[in-house]
Amino acid sequence: MAEKLKGKGVISGVAVGKIMLAGQNLDGYLKDYKPKKKIEEEKKVAADALVKVATNLVKTIEDLNKKDMKEQAAILEAHRMMVEDPAMSGLIDEKVDETSSAPRAVLDAYETQAKMFEQMEDEYFRARAVDMRDVGKRIAKFILGIKEPEIGEGKVIVAGMEIEPSVIAGLPSDKIAGVILGQGSTTSHAIIIAKTRAIPSIVGVGDAIEKMADGDPVIIDGETGDILIRPTATERAEYDVKIKKQEELKAHYAELKEKPAITTDGQTVVLAANIGSPADVDAAANYGAEGVGLFRSEFVFMGKTDIPQEEEQFKEYRAAIEKCKGHLCVIRTMDIGGDKPLPYIQVGQEENPFLGYRAIRISLQREDLFIPQLKAILRAGVYGKAGIMFPMVINVAEFKAAQEMVEKAKIELAHEGKDYSDNVQLGIMVETPAAAVMTPILAKYVDFFSIGTNDLVQYTLAVDRGNAQISYLYNHFNPAVLRLIKRTIESANKEGKWAGMCGEMASDPNAAIILMAMGIKELSMSAPSIPRVKEKIRSVSSIEAKEILDKVMEMEDGDEIRNYLKTIKTI
Amino acid sequence: MAAEATTTIENKQGIHARPASLFVQTASKFKSKIKIKAKGKEVDAKSILMIMSMGLVKGTEITLVAEGPDEAEAVQALKELVDSKFNEADA
Repeated sequence: MAEKLKGKGVISGVAVGKIMLAGQNLDGYLKDYKPKKKIEEEKKVAADALVKVATNLVKTIEDLNKKDMKEQAAILEAHRMMVEDPAMSGLIDEKVDETSSAPRAVLDAYETQAKMFEQMEDEYFRARAVDMRDVGKRIAKFILGIKEPEIGEGKVIVAGMEIEPSVIAGLPSDKIAGVILGQGSTTSHAIIIAKTRAIPSIVGVGDAIEKMADGDPVIIDGETGDILIRPTATERAEYDVKIKKQEELKAHYAELKEKPAITTDGQTVVLAANIGSPADVDAAANYGAEGVGLFRSEFVFMGKTDIPQEEEQFKEYRAAIEKCKGHLCVIRTMDIGGDKPLPYIQVGQEENPFLGYRAIRISLQREDLFIPQLKAILRAGVYGKAGIMFPMVINVAEFKAAQEMVEKAKIELAHEGKDYSDNVQLGIMVETPAAAVMTPILAKYVDFFSIGTNDLVQYTLAVDRGNAQISYLYNHFNPAVLRLIKRTIESANKEGKWAGMCGEMASDPNAAIILMAMGIKELSMSAPSIPRVKEKIRSVSSIEAKEILDKVMEMEDGDEIRNYLKTIKTI
Repeated sequence: MAAEATTTIENKQGIHARPASLFVQTASKFKSKIKIKAKGKEVDAKSILMIMSMGLVKGTEITLVAEGPDEAEAVQALKELVDSKFNEADA
C-alpha cells in the first residue's frame, strides 16, 4: 500500500513523478550544527564556503552557457556577484561574532541585505531580495553539507514546506510534473507560477511533507488533493486510466485551440483571457485565447510601498499588449478599495468598503495616480491594440470625467514629446445596476461595455457572495440579472458599439449559449476555461440559441433557469 | 596620496542593474582601493550591493576616490565609464 496524504488541490490534473525536495527548512540542521571552538576558525569556515560556492557557480554558469541557456546563466551570474561581493564578507564576520555559527551568520547577513532591498523604491531592486535569500541559503546549505536538489532522468514533483519562486522558475517546464506545498497559501508565488504553467499542485499538506524522501515515486491528483507516496502497481494502474483520460481531453482541447468560436451557422464570438500580469498572456495563448478582455492592473499597484511610476507601468502594459499580437488588450484601471488598501491610498475605515471609496471614485480624485496610469496605457497602445476600461462607473458624468483625464494625459504626453496611440478604445465595466440601467445613454459615449458579473450579481441581488448562509441566492441566472445583461448587450449593439463579459459567468458554457443569443461579442475568462466554452458554442446554431433564450426569458426563477440549461444536450 | 575625480551621473536609468555590474567589473580590474562618495555616504566601489543600495539616480553627483598602485588609472577609467553614460543606447 502506498502512503496516502491529503492536501488541498489548487491546480487540477493528475501527475506522476519522483519527489524532489526543495525549500527545506534548515532549522533542524542549524540546531545540530557544531561550530568550531575558536571564532576565527568559524569565520574561516564561512570565508571558505564563499570561495567554494562561487567556484561551483562559475562551473554551472559555463555549463549553462554551453547549453545556450543564457537567461538562467545570467541569473546565476548575478548570484555569483552576490557571493563574491566584498561587502558581504565583512557583514558575515560581524554576524559570526554575534552568533558563533557560520551557517547562521551567512543566513543573517543575506537576510539583512534582503530587507534593505525590499525597502527600495525600484521594483527591480525589490525583486532582488528573493535572490539574496536564495544565495544565503545556498551558502548555508553548503556549510551544512546539504545537497542541492538535482534533476535526474524523468519528471519530478517538487515538494517542500515552502518553495522559493526561483526554484520553480529555474526548472525547465517539461521536467516539473507537479508541486506539493506544506503551507496552505494558494497565492504564494510558487503557486502563481505553477498556475500559469498549468502544473498540477496541492497545498496545505503540513508536516506530513516530511514523510517524503528525495526520489520517492509519487502520484498526485490536483483535483482531489490526494497524494500517493510509493504507489503499488495496482494503484499506479488505476491512475494511469485517469491520466489517459486527461491526455485525451488535453489532446481534444489542443485540437480546438486553432478552431474559431463559431456556432454551427456562423455566429462568432471572441474568447479572450483575464490576466494579472503580462506573463499570463503566453499561458492564455496555449488555450487559444484571442487577446485579453481584462488585465487587472491592480497587481502593478499591490505589494508596493510607493506609487508605481509611469515608466514602470508602461513596461508592464507594453509587454502585455505586444504579447497579444494584434488582438485587443483591455486594461482595467486600478480597482482598489477599502477591502484591499494600499499604503499610499488612505481609504480609512469604512462600514462597507464595497459601497465605499474605491475604483474609479479614487482614480477621479487622485490625479497623481490616475494620470500616470493613463499615460502609461496610451504610450503602450503604440505597440498593438489597446483598450482602457473604467471600473465601478455608475453614471455618464463619471465616464465623461474619466474621458477628460484621458485627454489631459494625451496633452501631457504631447508636451513631453512622447509617442502615444490615438486609437485606444475607452469603455466601462458594467458592474453596478445603475450602469446597466443607463446603458442606452452610456452607449452613446463609450466604445465598449464589459459586463463584470461578479459584482453585478452581488449589487443587483444585495447578496454577499462570500456569505455562506445566503450563497444560495447568488446566481448569475437570476432573471433580474439576466435582464440587466440583455439590456446592456442590446444597448451596445444599437449604438454600433460592442459588449463583452469578464466576470465568472463568461466561463460558464451553459451561459455562453444565451449570451450569444443576446448578441454578445466577447467573452473573457481565466484561460483554462476557454476550450470548454468554445466547445459548447461550436455545438449549437444561433437559431437554437435564440429559442433557448426565449424560453429562459419566460422563466421566473434563477434555479429553474440553471437546471433547464443543464438539461440541454447539444450535438 | 589618493586620486580623486567628481562627476555627475547622466544616463537615464542611473546606476541600475546593468550599469552597476559594469561599474563593479571595471573597478575590480584595479588593485587600488576605490570608493564612491555621494549623498554624504561612502561605499566600496567593488561592491555591487553597496553601490546599488545608494540609489544613484540620474543627476546624482558622485566623487570617485582611489588609493593604491594604479589609483590614477582606476579613477580615470571609472569616470570615463560614467561619463559615457555606460554606453546606454537610449541614454
